[in-house]
Amino acid sequence: MSVVMFFIAAAVAIAGAIGVVALRNPLYAVLALVCHLVALAALFLLLRAEFVAAAQVVVYAGAVMVLYVFVVAYVGGGDELAGRSALRILGPLFALALAVELFIAMLGSALAGIRGYGAPYKLGFGTPEQIGRLFLTDYLFPFEAASLLLLVAAVGAIVLARRRRGLEEGALELKDLLAAPRPAYTGTIAEGAGVRRVREALEQSHGGVTEVVGAAVAGAAVGGPTGSAHVDQPEGER
Amino acid sequence: MTVFADVNYFEPWWIQILKALVIFAVIFGMLPILTVYERKLLGRFQHRYGPNRVGPYGLMQPLAEIVKFARKEAFRPTTSVGFLFRLAPALSIMTAVGGLALIPWGNVQDIFGTRVGLYGIDVSIGPLYVFALGGISFYGILLGGWASGSKYSFLGSMRAAAQLISYEVSQGLALVGVLITAQTLSLTGIVNAQRGMWYFIPQIAGFLIFLVASFAETNRAPFDLVEADAELVGGYFTEYGGTGFVAYLFAEYVNMMVVSAMAATLFLGGWLLPFGIHPPGWVDPFVVIAKMMLFMSLFIWIRATLPRLRYDQLMSFGWKVLLPLATLNLLVTAIIVVA
Repeated sequence: MSVVMFFIAAAVAIAGAIGVVALRNPLYAVLALVCHLVALAALFLLLRAEFVAAAQVVVYAGAVMVLYVFVVAYVGGGDELAGRSALRILGPLFALALAVELFIAMLGSALAGIRGYGAPYKLGFGTPEQIGRLFLTDYLFPFEAASLLLLVAAVGAIVLARRRRGLEEGALELKDLLAAPRPAYTGTIAEGAGVRRVREALEQSHGGVTEVVGAAVAGAAVGGPTGSAHVDQPEGER
Repeated sequence: MTVFADVNYFEPWWIQILKALVIFAVIFGMLPILTVYERKLLGRFQHRYGPNRVGPYGLMQPLAEIVKFARKEAFRPTTSVGFLFRLAPALSIMTAVGGLALIPWGNVQDIFGTRVGLYGIDVSIGPLYVFALGGISFYGILLGGWASGSKYSFLGSMRAAAQLISYEVSQGLALVGVLITAQTLSLTGIVNAQRGMWYFIPQIAGFLIFLVASFAETNRAPFDLVEADAELVGGYFTEYGGTGFVAYLFAEYVNMMVVSAMAATLFLGGWLLPFGIHPPGWVDPFVVIAKMMLFMSLFIWIRATLPRLRYDQLMSFGWKVLLPLATLNLLVTAIIVVA
């Protein structure tokens, strides 16, 4: 049973990995990567690493790849990658170098393992308890270093996002937001009905709504022209 | 040779298959009843009768509707992507049903001399299993909206992606408080740890955060931006009719049941009864179902009561209110448990 499961998962993993590289449509490529990651999770399950399998699905398939799909679905497929760039030559070279490195690693260590029966299974292996204990004893320094790195990355992402858009000169800052609960004409029915556009057009042509309305009222009082085509004053026309 | 994932099982294989069938049959027997329950209750909340034409008190309504849905013509928009369009609802319902396996309906019982755990599986990773399935169920919604090739579906699925990711974080963090208090991830272990006091008392903040995040995770009002019918027609399932629509509908209900049962297990003591009452073992599943129905009724009550949030409100509430609260709850719990 476990052998059958292994070969199914392994085949799906390899097919997914090939799909990532071979498929031209970026969304399908991302979906192939999801298939690959889920198949890897199944392989982790076969190795009794239940926590790693769950983390693989929750973090990679469930969060990271969802964002990938999100972006790719939004932006859509670029028809062609960079046509005649250095990537065309460098890409295969890097891939080749990585492949050679992987083969050296595999031939060096994994071939020796084929002969044996692998490490014996101990009760409690791969459970969250054991992983947590290892993190906080034997591997405390790498664990803390990784968490610090993640924190830096999170802070960096927020800083970059703030610099990219918003918070330029005159942009709303937190203190402004606190002072005015809601900027004028946001999320009101007036905006949906286009009041703001009318108002802005008036401001551009006449320098302010109040003046125009005041002029219209004044014009109505003297019986002259209202001075504005936008502000419809029935009294002024009579 | 060891069998695939046989670590936590002491039962023969045929009992496991039997358990899976029984859980599946009971839940899918309850689904139509729940749909009519929701509609009747919503009707009462809005001073009307709800469905009352088919059968006694309108109870046969879901039967008529299932026949209607099953006989509808299977069509799809010309702009849709065929295989993904068909795959997406199946993915949705499969991941939803998978979550049922984890819910503990009762402790290990002696049935005719055979020891049977009244749960699908009791994995060492516990609730992470549900989160993993929830992670995959995103794709049911995302791909359904994308493959429909329609603006409304696409907008709905994009909203779903952002919303589900945002609230999954708070839901998970709220749950960690319980895990720290119980000091186990096994759901039966968590229930057994609540013999002294149910966790909704010491973990009241976590309980409320979990509930609110659950509303968002199951796309229920007031967080049903994903299927906001005023703006998006039907959201990600706009283009679905017949069986595809039923699959999405049932997936939503099964997700609600799983979340309700999880809330009952994690915070309301699972199959335990208050005041030291110890009924015989066969009562346990009914206790869990009763507690589950309590949360289902809350889901429906909230839907009838609260208006839908605006999208930016939803996002800022999730990230600026719920997430810091959940983190604070986790910190305080950790300090109290260690100290």
